[in-house]
Amino acid sequence: MDLTAPHLGFVFAAYGLSLVVLAGLVLWLTHRNRTLARALRQLEAQRAPRRRAIGEAP
Amino acid sequence: MQQFANPRRFLRLVDAVEPWAWALTVILLAIGLYLSLIVAPQDYQQGETVRIMFVHVPAAWMALLAYLDMAVASAIAIIFRHPLADLAAKAAAPIGACFTFLALATGSLWGKPMWGTWWVWDARLTSMFVLFLLYLGYIAIWHAIDDPGRAARIAAIVALVGCINLPIIKFSVDWWNTLHQPASVFRIGGPTLHPAILTPLLVMGAAYLALFVTLHLTAIRAEIMARRLRQIELARADEV
Repeated sequence: MDLTAPHLGFVFAAYGLSLVVLAGLVLWLTHRNRTLARALRQLEAQRAPRRRAIGEAP
Repeated sequence: MQQFANPRRFLRLVDAVEPWAWALTVILLAIGLYLSLIVAPQDYQQGETVRIMFVHVPAAWMALLAYLDMAVASAIAIIFRHPLADLAAKAAAPIGACFTFLALATGSLWGKPMWGTWWVWDARLTSMFVLFLLYLGYIAIWHAIDDPGRAARIAAIVALVGCINLPIIKFSVDWWNTLHQPASVFRIGGPTLHPAILTPLLVMGAAYLALFVTLHLTAIRAEIMARRLRQIELARADEV
């Protein structure tokens, strides 16, 4: 790549924007997965003793 | 296909595939970026700005593919009542919206130095903008309607109706006189690009495809967990 070429700022902006948007998407999905998995584990842990108390199958 | 209707079986499959999918994505992206930024030559007319093509075109391909995926999943949800199809469609929407935004934004960054303008309302750019609005509308429907079953049905119909925009985007450069260039890769008669430019483009296309598949699997898993969470909360509310 010729770093003295004209319009190089547009090239870096396009790659930078792609990186920011795609990395943001990856982080958002990862965070959402972790948050939901944690909430699900907590809720299912809370439900297990109650199910046993009313005689449901675990 | 029905064997993956069981969410637990599908989640086991995702758990097994996901690390390999991420590894493939990272490897393809590394090779693609090396070819795009280091190996690919300057274009004799566009100079270094031709490198924008290696992030712009794959983003546009994935924008269309994600919508096609969303529409096919919506059709399966309506016709076969597959229990994961509506979640697969819902999961594809934000990913597709991001790729469409990137196609529009990087296209704009390419257009300014090459065409002298950030934006023109020509058929290709306008139809891509309509695709972006369709994604936003689809996402808004899921957020606006409380009943997930009703939201899924309405969103599926919107996704299927919006499908008409896909051939318009693809053939807009042939049907109308546009500032945007005609197809140069997927066309009758084969690609018009020199292999030195075509190879990095195809590798980046493969990397974006791997990224889309990986993110889609991750997003479907999140939707399955969100639905399970809602079911448990509703069951608890009934018990109270």
